[in-house]
Amino acid sequence: MKKLAITAIGIAAIGLQSGAALADEFTQEDVDRWMDQFEQVAAEGRAHWTDGNLGTNGVACAQCHPNAANTHPETYPKFQKQLGRVVHLWEMINWCLRNPLEGEELAADDPKMIALQAYVYKERRGVKLDPGKH
Amino acid sequence: MNQRRQILKVAGSGFIAGMLPVSLVRLSHGATPEQDFTFAYISDSHIQHMTGNQFVRNWDRGLIRAVAETNLLEPKPDFVMFGGDLAQLGTKPELDHGAELLAGLNYKNHVVMGEHDYYLDLGEYWSELYGDQYYSFDHKGVHFVVLNSILTYDDWTFDRWESGERRMAEMAGLDNPNGSPFMVGSKQLKWLKKDLSKLKKDTPVVVFSHSPLQKIYKGWNFWTEDAEQVQVILKPFAKVNVIYGHVHQIQYNQIGNIAFTSVMATAWPWPYPESYAQAESHLPVLTVPMNRGDPFDERDATGWQFINMHTGRVDLHFNLYSNENRVVSFNEQKGHPEDTSFADAGHRTTPQSHY
Amino acid sequence: MRAILLVMGLLIISNALADPMLGLPPVPVPADNPQSDAKIALGDRLFNDVRFSATGLVSCATCHAPEKAFTDGPLSVSEGINGLTGTRNAPTVINAAYNRTQFWDGRSPDLEDQALHPFLNPVEMALPNHDVLLAIVRGDANYVKAFKQVFGVKAGDITMIEVTRAIAAFERTKVAGNSPFDRWYFGAEADAMSEAAVRGFDVFLKDGRCVSCHTIEQDHAVFTDHLFHNIGIGINNIQEKVPALARAFLVAKSEGVDVDVAVLSDADTSHLGRLAVTDDLSMVGSFKTSTLRNIAVTPPYMHDGNLKTLREVVEHYNNGGVTNEGDRVNDFISGGIRPLNLTEQQIDDLVAFMEALTSPAFVNANTKAENNMGGSK
Repeated sequence: MKKLAITAIGIAAIGLQSGAALADEFTQEDVDRWMDQFEQVAAEGRAHWTDGNLGTNGVACAQCHPNAANTHPETYPKFQKQLGRVVHLWEMINWCLRNPLEGEELAADDPKMIALQAYVYKERRGVKLDPGKH
Repeated sequence: MNQRRQILKVAGSGFIAGMLPVSLVRLSHGATPEQDFTFAYISDSHIQHMTGNQFVRNWDRGLIRAVAETNLLEPKPDFVMFGGDLAQLGTKPELDHGAELLAGLNYKNHVVMGEHDYYLDLGEYWSELYGDQYYSFDHKGVHFVVLNSILTYDDWTFDRWESGERRMAEMAGLDNPNGSPFMVGSKQLKWLKKDLSKLKKDTPVVVFSHSPLQKIYKGWNFWTEDAEQVQVILKPFAKVNVIYGHVHQIQYNQIGNIAFTSVMATAWPWPYPESYAQAESHLPVLTVPMNRGDPFDERDATGWQFINMHTGRVDLHFNLYSNENRVVSFNEQKGHPEDTSFADAGHRTTPQSHY
Repeated sequence: MRAILLVMGLLIISNALADPMLGLPPVPVPADNPQSDAKIALGDRLFNDVRFSATGLVSCATCHAPEKAFTDGPLSVSEGINGLTGTRNAPTVINAAYNRTQFWDGRSPDLEDQALHPFLNPVEMALPNHDVLLAIVRGDANYVKAFKQVFGVKAGDITMIEVTRAIAAFERTKVAGNSPFDRWYFGAEADAMSEAAVRGFDVFLKDGRCVSCHTIEQDHAVFTDHLFHNIGIGINNIQEKVPALARAFLVAKSEGVDVDVAVLSDADTSHLGRLAVTDDLSMVGSFKTSTLRNIAVTPPYMHDGNLKTLREVVEHYNNGGVTNEGDRVNDFISGGIRPLNLTEQQIDDLVAFMEALTSPAFVNANTKAENNMGGSK
């Protein structure tokens, strides 16, 4: 009798899982949609990367970093000589905005900054992490 | 005070061969030492107009510095080449401003066409300043050819874009997927064949080109679509050197009888194609890469060069600011160009082995 | 009990406050010249010994005076025997132990080598050769005893190697950190620096672009990248002469002219900077990045001492490498120099920051430091 009750509870529990919305439940459609949203932001980042409008002198990131090459995002955080301490990628992007582009910094959570980083990381997809590497 | 008088006195006594370390090293391999000579090479200045009388200061200073240092060369070079991309978007203010800065050179100047000079108006204003877009000349027994190697397919050039400005903007992005591969084109191939036909096969030939006349990485137009056809035309000659710009980095290679060497930009460095993780590319394996630049120092990883011609071979001296200078010299025994200091991996410094 | 803990706590904190090395890395000491008290004392004597000069009146301390933060401010260029002037401003010995090369143009690889040269330079001590110095040392009973004790050499075997090693060992004790900046940045003392200096540090890191050459690191700061840069000092005034001058100098050098003598004997030649040492065209007018530690008490500034105040220095950088705004920037200017567009407030704050880099031991250095005290808070 007890065994039956336990089994029944077990089945009921499984039934609950497959029908209702729990925290770790998402569909392939959700995944595709969220990936799309990332791609959109990365595409915005690509646009900022190439349009020469982030600074005041018309210079674009892409002029020194075609396809975001030579940015080494996989090495951050690391000691950055130009900033004098260990920093993350967004702080170095700000350094570039201020210096070669002669422009203003962006806040870490500024949509443009997030978009720039999304683009940089996307172009570096697949490369192993190597934090701290100079 | 005695020392001072001595310094000034010697200054008046004129040319003294081989005094300065950057001067010509006259190597006599027995052949014809009187045919050894030097010429300088400045390239890729990308003068960029902002507004009114303002140009991007960084690129201006790069060209100013290269001109000033070239003027210090002792003994003086026979002539100076400008390797292309004088301007960034080929506008009249940019070409004029670039020409003005180049005019500071104390020597005769020959110029090569770059895509940033060309695609706004198909080289019309550039030709007003500098004349022919492809030509040849002879100097001390060497035959020099200048090609316009940044042309592309006719439909991209004439039919695709609604304006010259748009066409130039599209070609200006190195990594722009809307770009189109460089080529020399059939007209120049025919001309080149004819131009070389009267030469003896042992005449040294040097070809100046903006694009590499090789196929290195198509995504960034480190590429010449008809490279093989050019190489075939050059094949019969014993000593052929190709010197090219566009790549803004140190590269060199040997394909058959042709030694290829790139020149540095005065404006900014490009990364090596290897550093783009999403693409397969083919950097010539012989190349010892230049060191990674410090972006704070606007002149780091930029430079200019002078070339010693000796016995028809090219010895290219890269003058690199804030870096150890590099010399890429033709190694007769190995039959290809080689970095004279760092070819051996055991001789590399930390910045070179830790990229 | 609580009182005891409190006192102990205060003692611990005050000990930390009193660490004179706060903000400095360990002093680099070469393996062949370890420190010892006796060697340092010997070096101190040699450093201050005026007999090692043609007139018997000039020692290292003449231009590197302890009470002047080891410089000779307010002199722009130093004066040797008979008041003869050279062309260069005496750098401080304080923290010179951290430099990877010595002299403004880096022509000496270390402190030991550096010490050899002033003895022989015609405008410094002007000895005809080192034998004169060694004769004095070998004939002095106290020196003989000290050299025997430190190096185990007999009088006749004392050479310039031992002499310069002792001097270098003494100089390696002249290191000082623990400035208000060090306490604020590395010691987490929130009110160790004035508000102006804190703002100035932000300018230092950002709009001023100072940190890339005057480097700081995660847990220490020497404020120099040890490299050589043309920042438009001296060379700006001889721009037309540079081609002929460079050529003449290199010709003379290849014929045997001593670089140490040449650069101190002629101001124009001096302005060629590192070119004189490496023969590298890209080093025209380039000089070593100096440390900024104790900068407020070591005026005047630059290799020729021609900038008298820190404010003038900042204005020179702000103008993009020219002292008077609108002057022609020289063709060989370092790639790191550009107009900064700082506001007056930012300039004042940057000066206040630099004033916060003085170590406690040198705050009262007698170098007319009061000229620099404008603009803070």
